[in-house]
Amino acid sequence: MKPGTKLKSATCDTEVMVIKAPADAEIACGGTLMTAEASANSQTIDPAFADGTLMGKRYVDEAGTVELLCVKAGAGSLSMNNTKLGIKDAKPLPSSD
Amino acid sequence: MTQVMKGIRVLEVAQFTFVPAAGAILADWGADVIKIEHPERGDTQRGFINLGAVKLDKDRNALMEHPNRGKRSVGLDITNPEGMALLYEIAKTADVFLTNYRPSQRQKYGFDIEHIRAVNPNIIYARGSAYGDKGPERDVGGFDGTAFWSRGGIGHAMTPPELDGPLSQGIPAFGDSIGGMNLAGGISAALLHRERTGEAIELDVSLMSTAWWAAGTSIDLGLEQGEIPRNRMPTSGGNPGNPFTGNYWTSDGGTINLCTLTPGMHIRNIFEHLGIPEAADDPRFSDAKALMENWEQAGELIAEAIGKQPFEYWRQHLKTMSGQWAPCQSLVDIASDEQALANDMIFEVESADGGAPMKLVRGPVQFNHQPTVTTRAPQSSEHTEMFLMEIGVEWDQIEALKAAKAIA
Repeated sequence: MKPGTKLKSATCDTEVMVIKAPADAEIACGGTLMTAEASANSQTIDPAFADGTLMGKRYVDEAGTVELLCVKAGAGSLSMNNTKLGIKDAKPLPSSD
Repeated sequence: MTQVMKGIRVLEVAQFTFVPAAGAILADWGADVIKIEHPERGDTQRGFINLGAVKLDKDRNALMEHPNRGKRSVGLDITNPEGMALLYEIAKTADVFLTNYRPSQRQKYGFDIEHIRAVNPNIIYARGSAYGDKGPERDVGGFDGTAFWSRGGIGHAMTPPELDGPLSQGIPAFGDSIGGMNLAGGISAALLHRERTGEAIELDVSLMSTAWWAAGTSIDLGLEQGEIPRNRMPTSGGNPGNPFTGNYWTSDGGTINLCTLTPGMHIRNIFEHLGIPEAADDPRFSDAKALMENWEQAGELIAEAIGKQPFEYWRQHLKTMSGQWAPCQSLVDIASDEQALANDMIFEVESADGGAPMKLVRGPVQFNHQPTVTTRAPQSSEHTEMFLMEIGVEWDQIEALKAAKAIA
């Protein structure tokens, strides 16, 4: 999949930009495949994929084969080939003021 | 909104609140502020769990929004040589380099003024530090709790001598936010100077200099006369020498602050508003000289009068009083202060979680009566690829830099 491709969720408001993804990746949100033209909230969200997305966060698989940048937040969970993606989290240093 | 800094790019290599707050002010004013963050850790401030006794919401993080709204975040490892080479490329496109890294770190990683000027001789180099860029302690780090509040003498002056020890700062990033505005002002003046003369200059603001300036009247007095005024224990009564100044307690535990520094012309109006008009005819209080001489007795009368009614009564009733006064409000109360809202003190940004917008305090300067319009603070490294492509870095190179762990 070409870097820079924008994908929309059919189950919620989520939108992502592909940073990298395998050519044959099935990228879904809320359990339904994402496409460039999907109409937001037109499909029912799968409760198993309903953790929500955060704008500006990157979503990756454990092997690091996929990276999606969330550009619009929504209620669904991002997945690739039916496996949920996790947040590529910064590893902040615990601090307190 | 009038973007006085439109077209100015600021390259920020800084963390926490003080120096990033300068970037936030410039971003509010329209500058393109590129915030460099460590690819994995991000700004260390992202790791804050608590603010005082209040636990932070990491998905709606007010502590990150205040000093970072309106910026773009690029994840770049300044300790990686390829990352530093890329930083130089970004510096070539910038008008201002803004940092709070210590001199030894700037030298070690190669982004001190001579390194940045070598790639961009016209860049303004702005440093924020704890104690200044000269002298034996130029390499000592600090926070506002140390450099501004404690060593800066603010904590001492704020504390009544009767207490066993100095009060702590109380407001997180209090000195930082003031210092950030100082730095933004200095950068603006440096940009004006460059515009008029072509000369790019360097500048410094420290948390210590911020405290010294903020406390300048007391410090100058101390230098001249060897003593300074200190805070007094809370009491309901007049300040020594002028009963129209001081805190007065209402019947329900609220406080009304009187601050009528020149009392003479207000004597009748104030006593009438306080429900004790006869005091204006009392020879002890009927002219400024007498009133100030008999401040203690007048203060007792006023304390008794204000103590008869609740806070809300005074808050409404004193609106027509001619002297200067204010209700003592909390930092939560002020969010509904109609005068503050009328002056656009609060603006909104979208929230990264897609939920309700976050409300933020605007900077202290307003141009053309227009409210602040800007974007939320970035997530760490959010704009890495998009920004690098914008300055002409090819995708293949972006992938290679990622593989080398130079960027996020």
